[in-house]
Parts: sequence; C-alpha cells; structure tokens
Amino acid sequence: MKKKILIASILLAITAIVLIGYFGCSQQEGDTVSSRTAVDESSKEEDVTFAEVTDKPDSEIQVSQELKTTLPLQQTVTAKDEVHLRTKLEPTKELEEAAPAATKPEKYGMLRHEDITDSGYEQEILVDLKSKSEESRLHTVTGPVPMPGKKPESRSVSMGRNGVVYNDGRTGGMMGGYRGSGIAPTTRQPLRRVRGRIVSAGKPLSEEAQRSESGRIYSGLLSVTEDEIWVIARAETQAVPAGEDSPGCGAMLAKLPKEDKEIPLPLKHTDVKGQISGYIATVNVTQQFHNPYEEKIEAVYVFPLPQNAAINEFIMVIGERRIRGIIRERKEAEEIYREARRQGYVASLLTQERPNIFTQKVANIEPGKNIDVNIKYFNTLAYVDGWYEFVFPMVVGPRFNPSGYSDGVGAVALGKNGISGQKTEVQYLKPGERSGHDIAVTVDVDAGVKIEEVKCTNHVISKTFAAPEKLTVKLSSLDSIPNKDFVLRYKVAGKTVKSALVTHHDKRGGFFTLMLYPPESLSYLKRAPMEMIFVLDCSGSMNGKPIAKSKQAVTRALRKLQPKDTFQVIRFSNNASQFGPDPVPATPDNIHKAIRYVGNLRGSGGTMMIEGIKAALDFKHDPHRFRLVSFMTDGYIGNEIEILAAIHQRLGASRIFSFGVGSSVNRYLLDRMAKLGKGAVAYIGLDDSAGGVVDLFYERISHPALTDVTIDWGNMQVTDMYPYHIRDLFVGRPVILTGRFKGNSKTTIHVTGKVGDLTQEIAIPVNLDDSAAAHQGIACVWARKKIETLANQATYDNNPDLPEEIKQVALEYGLMSAYTAFIAVDSSRKTTGDHGITVAVPVPVPDGVRYETTVQN
Amino acid sequence: MMKKITAIILMSISVIVPVLAQQSEQDNESVQPKVRFAPLRIYLDSGNKSLAAYQFELKAAAGQIKIVGVEGGQHKAFKEAPYYDPAALANDRIIIAAFNTGRELPTGRTRIATIHLQIIGEAEPDYELKLTVAADADAKEIPAEITFEKGE
Repeated sequence: MKKKILIASILLAITAIVLIGYFGCSQQEGDTVSSRTAVDESSKEEDVTFAEVTDKPDSEIQVSQELKTTLPLQQTVTAKDEVHLRTKLEPTKELEEAAPAATKPEKYGMLRHEDITDSGYEQEILVDLKSKSEESRLHTVTGPVPMPGKKPESRSVSMGRNGVVYNDGRTGGMMGGYRGSGIAPTTRQPLRRVRGRIVSAGKPLSEEAQRSESGRIYSGLLSVTEDEIWVIARAETQAVPAGEDSPGCGAMLAKLPKEDKEIPLPLKHTDVKGQISGYIATVNVTQQFHNPYEEKIEAVYVFPLPQNAAINEFIMVIGERRIRGIIRERKEAEEIYREARRQGYVASLLTQERPNIFTQKVANIEPGKNIDVNIKYFNTLAYVDGWYEFVFPMVVGPRFNPSGYSDGVGAVALGKNGISGQKTEVQYLKPGERSGHDIAVTVDVDAGVKIEEVKCTNHVISKTFAAPEKLTVKLSSLDSIPNKDFVLRYKVAGKTVKSALVTHHDKRGGFFTLMLYPPESLSYLKRAPMEMIFVLDCSGSMNGKPIAKSKQAVTRALRKLQPKDTFQVIRFSNNASQFGPDPVPATPDNIHKAIRYVGNLRGSGGTMMIEGIKAALDFKHDPHRFRLVSFMTDGYIGNEIEILAAIHQRLGASRIFSFGVGSSVNRYLLDRMAKLGKGAVAYIGLDDSAGGVVDLFYERISHPALTDVTIDWGNMQVTDMYPYHIRDLFVGRPVILTGRFKGNSKTTIHVTGKVGDLTQEIAIPVNLDDSAAAHQGIACVWARKKIETLANQATYDNNPDLPEEIKQVALEYGLMSAYTAFIAVDSSRKTTGDHGITVAVPVPVPDGVRYETTVQN
Repeated sequence: MMKKITAIILMSISVIVPVLAQQSEQDNESVQPKVRFAPLRIYLDSGNKSLAAYQFELKAAAGQIKIVGVEGGQHKAFKEAPYYDPAALANDRIIIAAFNTGRELPTGRTRIATIHLQIIGEAEPDYELKLTVAADADAKEIPAEITFEKGE
C-alpha cells in the first residue's frame, strides 16, 4: 500500500511539474553570463611595489602675497567703465574647503587666509578698468542679448509671440502653437494678421505646467547637470582616412537562414544634418533601411546619440509618404508595435536603452523596399576655452556587464543573438568586415561672431565659409565608416566674456537658457594640497592604445604633483588592487616607484568598475587635503546605474574627474560620473597628447574662479531652473542654466559671486521681447534637462513617483525618455505573409578597440 | 496493477495537459480585445478659397482608439506630416495643425491628413471631428467643412 501511495505521489508530482512547465513558466532564468571571459592578466603582471612611506612634513611655508597685490583681475563693466568691488574680508567657502592647509600652515606650507586678508574689515576698491588688460576684464552683454545668427528670414512665419518660427518656408506647424514641441491650443483660436505674420491668440500655459519645484527635496548632487560639466579637454585625434586594413573596412555580406547566397544588411546609410545657431544644435538624422532579402524582415539597429539630445520628432518615410510618429508610454508603444508587426503593418519603434543608446526597430519591410526613419533632436553644445564642440557619436562601444546582470548592453559577434543574456544587444563585425552602412554628416554653423579656427577630431572634413561667422562642414566621403565619434570644434573670436540669454515663448509660458561665461584669467589664486587618487581601467577593452594613453596620462600627472600632495594609484579589471595601502606623499622616490607600477599595468579581463569605485572612495579622507579621484576609462560597461548610485553613496568629500580614453567612449557614463562627483570630464583620443590633456587638467584645478554664485533675475520671475544650485564658474568653463520665466520687458540680471575673497557682480541687460534672442528648441532643452535631472535622482532615490514624473514631462513635451517611445504605424496597407525574420544591424567595434577582448563570440 | 495505474495516469496527463493549454490560450485570447489598425482620412472643403492653414481636433466619442501615426495630405502644400499636440494626446484625442505660406494652395475638397489608428474592440468607433479654424493666405478665417472617410 505504501508503495502505491509513493508511486501515486511521484506521478502527481510529475503531473504538477509538467503542468507548471506547460502553463506558465515562460520567465527566463537570470543569465549569469559575463560579456567578457578573458582571464584577468593585468593583476598577474603587476609588479606591486608598495612604497615605503615616510611622511616628511615640509616645514617650508609658501605664503602667497599675490592676492594682496593683484586682486582685481576681473571687473564688472558699468556704463562709466568703473567698477565697485566690495571686498568682504571673510574666508571664502572655496578656501575653507579647497585649502584646508590654511589652518595648518606650519605643516603644509600653503596659502593661509589670514595672509591674504585682514578679517573683520570691509574694503571698497574703485578700479578703473581702462588700466587693466583686455584679458582680465569680465565683460557682460549690453543691449540685445546675442543669439547668434537668429534672424528670421523673409519667408519665415511666426505663430504667436516668439512662438513657432518657420524659417525654411515649408509647411507644417501648430496653429497658434509652436513647432518642435508641438502644443496646440485646445480651444478655438482665430488667426489674426500681425505685421504680415500669422499669429494666434493663445492662452498662457496652465498653472500646473508652470508649477515650481519648491516642494521637492533636492540633493546637492542634483545641482550638476549636463551643461555644467566642466570639460577639461577634448580628444584631438588626427583625422586619418580609414585604410583598407583598418577595422570596420572591407566588404560585409550576411548569409541568411534558408539562403544560399550572401546578401547585404538592411541599414544602408545614415544622413546627419546639423544646424548650429549660437550654442544650440538642431540635428536631423535619417536612417535609410532597405530589405535586400527575398522575404520580409524586421530591422533592429542599436545606435548612439548625444546623451543630452532632446529628441522630439520621429517620422517614418515610405516612398513619398511621411508618417509622423507618436510619443507614447514605452510599454504601450511596444505593445502597439508588436501588434502591428504581427498583423503585417509597416511600423517603426524608437526606444531609449540609455540616455545615449537607442534601439530602432522597423517591421515588415518587404523585399526590395526602402523605409527611412527621420529623427530630430536639439542639444546644447559644450564650450571650452573659446571653443564650441559639436559631437555626433557613430557607434556604441562594446559594454562589459557584470555576472548576474541582465539589464545591460551586451556585445556579441554577428549572428550570436542572445548569448550575452542582456536586455539589449549589439552585434559587432569582425576586424576586416564592413556592413556596407556608411554615413554622411553636414553641419551648418552660424556662430554669430567670426569663426577663427575649425578642427575636426577623428575625421576628414571639407569646410566652406559663406561669411566669417557662417561655416558649412561636410564629412569626406573617404571617411564615411561609422566607427568613431564625429567631433567638430570651432573657435569663435574674442577673448572677452559674453553671457547670452536665449528665450522662447509659447502657450505654456516663457523658457530660457542662460550661458554664463567665466572670467578668463584667474591665475593669481593658488590651489590647496591634493590627495590625488588615480584609477586606471585595466580591462580587456582598454588593451592596446587606450591603456597606453592612460598610462601616459597618469605618468604625466604623477610628475606634476607638488611636494605637499599625496597620491594613490588603483587599477581594476575583474578586481582592484593598488599601489600602496594608503595614499603616500608625493616624494620623488614614491613618484618614481608609482611610475614603475603604472608602467607594468596591462589591459585584460572584465570591467568591474564597482571595485575601482570602492577602492577609490572607501577610505578615510585626509581632512587637510582636497581629495581628487581621476578615473581613466573607456566606460564600456552596461551597469551604469549601479556605478552612478555607488558614486552617489560613497562620494563624501571627494571630487571625481573622469577621463574618457578612446575613440568612441561612453560619454554618458563619464559625464555623469563627473557631474555626480562634482568634478569634470576630459576626453583623450587615441592619437592625442595625453600629457597635454593632463596639463590642462592641472591648469583647471589650480585656479578656482567665481564661487558662491547667486543670481538676481530682475523683472524675470524665474521658476523650475536647472541646475537647482549654480556651480562655480571656472576659467574656460561656462555654466548653462535653463528654466521657465514670466515677464516680457527689459530688465537686468545681476550675477554675484566671489573671486577669492572678493565679491563680484556681473550685470547682464536683457530684452525679453527680443525675437533675435529666441530659439524654438529652448522648451525642449528645458524639458530634457528636467527629465535628466529626475533620471539622475532616480539612480539613488527610490521615490516611486519619479518614473511617473519623468514620463509625464516627456509626454507633455513630446520627448524621448526611458519611459516613453515613438511609434509610427502605416495602417493604410497590410503586407502579406507573416512578419518574416528579424535582422540585427551589425556595427564595427570602435576604432582602436580590440574585437577579440571585448566581443562575445 | 501498478503498471496499469501508471499508464492510465500518464495517458491522462498527455491528454489533459494539451487540452488545458489550449483552453488557457483561448481564455487569454478571449480576454484580449480584438485589435485592428485602420486609417482615417481627413478632408477639408474650403470652397473657392485657397486653404493656407488649418487646425482640427479628433476624438472617439464611442469606442477606443489609439493614434499611431499622422500623415500629410494629398496636395503638395500639405504633404508634410502635420504636427500634433502631445499634451492633448494623453487623453487619446488629437489636435493637428498645419500651414503653408507658399502660393500654390489647394481649393475645394482636399485630403489634408491621414490619421493612423489602432482600434480596440469590435465596436466601430464613433468619431468626433471638429474644425478649429481654417484660414487663407492672408490669415483670414475662411468658412470650410471638415469630413472624414474611414479606411480599411
């Protein structure tokens, strides 16, 4: 009997298991495959030489008197060419934080506050600017705030005051609304003729849309936003035409299942057209898909865009028909796409995987047919030392994903779909293979002022000047393989500082961006002693040129340390190890040993960046030194959120300076690390002088500029400003503020800050009605900034409302985000047969990155 | 005896499981409302006046629709895909507008746009189409009639 019961139980159990297997368990088990399996050799090869630390406090005291004699190097221009600098002789926050040695001068011998000022006094200094050099002045905008090149053309039509402006004469646009962000009035609003323009009497935006963010609890870390990133240096790679032997060259043909012959892949061409007006770029990207197969396909393409791109237009083009995509909640858009694909309709879906990685899907492309997808975005340009920079990334670098992580971006060989176990996958071509996909880039620049110099890192270009301030740049057809970032830099005339306000009005109210330019020369202020932590990514993707560049950079940085500094060198790949147990004084002996240690490092293994983060931030801070952590990495990881959250949790008093090393680095991660770390970012191209970049880095950290910045907006009623807190204005680095405002008259913005211990004010007269200082993209730029700020907050804040808030902003402004997607379906015709096969568009590994060490095969 | 019981149980499993699975799929299908896609073509008749600008609003008074694309019209002046109001879309209505400043403008009845829809459920939606405004090249409001045609 017992035996029968036992057998029955077993059978029941089997039945249950079978049933469970049948009905439900479609859930995949977590894939624990790591993207890179190469053995970590870097740690094996380390000849770890722990320095014999002998802290020898230098009793020599270096007291700077320079401030006493050269204080007013920057001035605010008034109508009388005079400036009143009220010197409040109190220790500045900058000095207190950045120069802790001032409290112990006998030991560290650094600048003491009491050596500079007599506390308890207030001193008013009258300075005649005429006696100062041009470079030392801090000029402000007078008269209409320049929005370079923003002159409505004769054919343009403006809808609403400062509303939509069409300056190309083509059709489209909202009645009484505005192009780009696409709001229309919800009630009947008759047109009227005003000065030859069609305008609409629209109502202001709802109060809700203009609500203040005052209810939110803000973290100090949130104050750092995209445009605030202090870019130390840009890649200066020499443009070299791709040779036939370069990776990514050659001919690429794919062999499909059931097909005997090899045929090309579906993405034929990408066309990029950028228009730059002032510091705002409007970019149209057209991806041309083609089905070369004998059956229907779905094309899937994972591609990059700038991390601050505000994508607000998506159009699917079928022959001459243009179907505008609709912004929807992501899940809803994905469901619509799946259903349209299943039913045989031509459809396209654009989703965001990371702020700089997107997936384009086009379903039911019939044999021999073409489908184009047009994406439009706005973004603000970076500005460093008089140079503007326009970047268009061309390829997603192969990411490393830690074991057990499945939400990353996998890097797999062509045809190895699914082996990474990651939510998003990029298929890479082998060296010597080429997809047949090429790219054309044209950028029209209207700088508003004379363009003095143009550089294009990485690529061969042709350039044409229509006027001294108008430039057209074209990518050479000899250099059309999309395997490295397109980086266009141009230097504008003038050494004086100009702050520019750009506005946009529509039914929702006013939007603005204000670019605050820093003073150029502040070399009289000395830096505090540093605790320098150098962290080198020694993973497989860094093998070869990238790690060589990193080593050059660190070696140079070590040599530039000052006697009062301490330092540490940390390497990480699958794990982390370091030069010594604690930071050591920057003695010649220690520096020599560290250079030997760095020289022995090699690149191999995975990218467990979290280990590097822990090693760099998880030790006791020396309260007498300014801790500065420099990461040298390509940023090729899939778990960015985890890394950013770790930085937020562990940052403490540290500042993070991220150095992106390579031809196509993960700029999103590097920028975010620097923002969260309250530091700066620099990019070192493979043919750049690493020493030059490091020199710039030291130059930047040596001279703090305008600190404790506050703004009196005058008659502008400003709300929802990002960043929440205004960062310091450093030499060569502007700060871009964006927000919403009410008001429509002339006013003066007063920016106040401290230079050393001087209080200084910059006056910026603005005319809020000046249509020449308007740009239709400002509302999108503002909304994108808000989304970015909320998304950053979500990396360390478990507030469940954040995703919903991001989604609502994105939907209201028609913008791409992690929670929204663009969907376009052509419902007018159903294609025959099932939806065919899915073909991923393979891409080359970025220039300088080794396929063998980065791609799963 | 034991062998017989085992065989019976196994046979039962092999029969019951597929039946249950099929039933489950059918249940799922019956739970899921029928979804189809169809275009809605919008026409505007401005009589003998040239049409330079328009704005209209569309929603489904009955039935459930989702707008999945907006396409331009037949005349080259309105060929470009018109813009829509993303904020209004949240409530699954759509506000669409376009204008053209050129000289070649349509008169009479012309298709100004095609709205691509996902229709959920068996019921045919009851559309509400409202012309907000139509204007000529001088930005004067003109009388016009807006209509739609359902596509398959």
